[in-house]
This record gives sequence, structure tokens and C-alpha cells, in this order.
Amino acid sequence: MYEFQNWLIKTLLSVNVVRPFMTSKWGWPICESLHFLGLSLLIGTIGAFDLRLLGVGKRIPISALHRLIPWGVAGYALNVITGSMFLTTEPNQYILNPSFHLKLLFMTMAGLNILVFYTLYWRRVSLLGPGADTPLPAKAIGGISLFLWTGIIVFGRLLTFYRPGACGKNETATFLWTCFK
Amino acid sequence: MEPFFVWLETSSLSVWVRESPSLFAFPIILSLHTIGMGLVAGLSTAIALRILGLAPRVPLLELRRFFGLVWTAFWINAASGVLLLIAYPTKALTNPVFYLKLFFIAVAVWTFGAIRRLIFADPGLDFNPVHSRGRKLAAGMIFCWAGAITAGRLLAYTYSKLTSI
Repeated sequence: MYEFQNWLIKTLLSVNVVRPFMTSKWGWPICESLHFLGLSLLIGTIGAFDLRLLGVGKRIPISALHRLIPWGVAGYALNVITGSMFLTTEPNQYILNPSFHLKLLFMTMAGLNILVFYTLYWRRVSLLGPGADTPLPAKAIGGISLFLWTGIIVFGRLLTFYRPGACGKNETATFLWTCFK
Repeated sequence: MEPFFVWLETSSLSVWVRESPSLFAFPIILSLHTIGMGLVAGLSTAIALRILGLAPRVPLLELRRFFGLVWTAFWINAASGVLLLIAYPTKALTNPVFYLKLFFIAVAVWTFGAIRRLIFADPGLDFNPVHSRGRKLAAGMIFCWAGAITAGRLLAYTYSKLTSI
């Protein structure tokens, strides 16, 4: 596993084309600001949609609220771009970071949740008019989505505290902590 | 100000938030602050986008159902923000960018209230086009939240002094 991670770090470093920008004075801070703006756009629009699935603001037709989803997707795209810039500039800070592993796991689950929603329930749910209650599976999908995106934010913030480091002689790796030689 | 910073930074609450190895000290407070940020800025931006004419079939009046959550998230952020400030008062209060952030938040919150008074007080809201002043307020609010988020993020890079102790 460690060999694979090492290979991945080297590969990510080799595909990076933004290092001069990211290591300039304001490169990293600008990307972080954009990452937080994208986060807010995503949570605001996709979160509102999830809440409607759960039954908040029932008089809003689902398909009408869905018109805001492209804004959430734009926020997501912005975050994938800025996130990739962080990842390829300092890959060891992420590839060896357990908080990043959990963030990726939650992102994958959020992706699968979206896939299930659009393949199995979107047709039925999109036809619901004002005042209509959503079927139970759609409610579950909305709740799971809110839970996963919240987790993604938390693991994103915890990245700083679980940066991989060399553990001292008497230190043992605790939950989420990575020691390496 | 220095004696005040020293007094605050040596208080047990400040020391706990700043130095406790517990996940529930600094890391979780910071996470709550970020979740609250997404909800306050994000949900009010979604409402503002509707006022600006996107997603026109969404009944505006019904968006009032989200106001309570916006305020709840706002108070979560006020509380978590105060805790972060207690942990690092020198860092924040000696940085002009921190006051810029507070200014953006104050204007954004005022705008949110003005939108509620001006637009959402009208029971015929969904049958009339949105007042042009309402659109200006909505655009201004999005700008202010973006400014507050950017200023907040830049706090990590613009401070001149971390602590006074």
C-alpha cells in the first residue's frame, strides 16, 4: 500500500502544471477562497434540494427547484479544479492523510447516491407538483446526501490536523493518524 | 489592548480551544464554522438567485421555509466564531482583514433582513415581478457573502501576530 501511495505521489507531482502559481504568494490562498465559495454554492443549492426531498418547503415543485442544481454542479466543478491544484502541488499532504481518504470515500458515496437518485427515482420525483410528498426512498437519498456533504466538509477541515508526520519514539499512531519513517 | 489579549489568551477556555488535543476543541469548532458558512451563505445565495430570476417557477413565498435554517446556521457561526476569536484574539483583532470580514457579514445580514422586509412581506409576491430594489439587494448580498468568505479564508495568510503570550 505504501509503495502504491509513493508511486501515486510521484505521478501526481509529475502531472502538476500549476506549481509556479500555487507556490507564489497568493496562489494557494486564492484557490482556498475559491474552494470555500464553491463549497457554499454546492451546499446552498444541493442542500436546499435535499431539504425539499425531505419535506421542507413542500409547496415548491421539485422540478422548479432542480433549476438551481446546475449552480451546485458549477460549485462542485470549481472545487474539483481547485482541489486537484492542491492535490498535485502537495500530494504527500493528501495521499498519506487518513482524513483525505475518508473525504474521498464520502465523495464516492455521494456520487453513488446521486447515481441511484437519477436512475431510479428522478422520473417519478420530477413529476411531483406543489404540495406533494416525496416517496420514502427519495427522502432517504436527501438525508444521506446532506449527511455525506456535511462529512465531506468536516474531513476537508480535518485535513490540517491529520497531516502525515513522523511519530516519535514513544508515540503510537492513534485513530486517523499516520506515522511514516 | 495587549493586557486584554494576554488575559484572554491565558484564560482556561482560550487555552482549551487552542491547545486541547481533543477533536472537539479546535477541529470540530472550525468544522461547525464551515458547515454554518455553507448553509448561511449558500442558502441565502440560492434564495437570492431565485430573486434574480433563476428557477422562476419556484414560489418565492415558500422559500421562507428556509429562513429559520439560515438564522440557525448564522447563530451557530456567531457562537463558533466567538470561540475561535477567544482562542486567537491577537491574531484576529490586530488584522484589518478581520474587520473587513465583519463588515461584509454585517452588510450581508442587513441585506438579508431588508430582502425579508421588502420582498417577502408582500403576500402577492408570487404574482408580481420582483421589485428592482429587491434584485439589487439580492445581488449585493451574494457579493457580500463572497467577500466575507474570501476575507475569512485570507485571515490565515494575513495576520501579523499569532498570540500575545
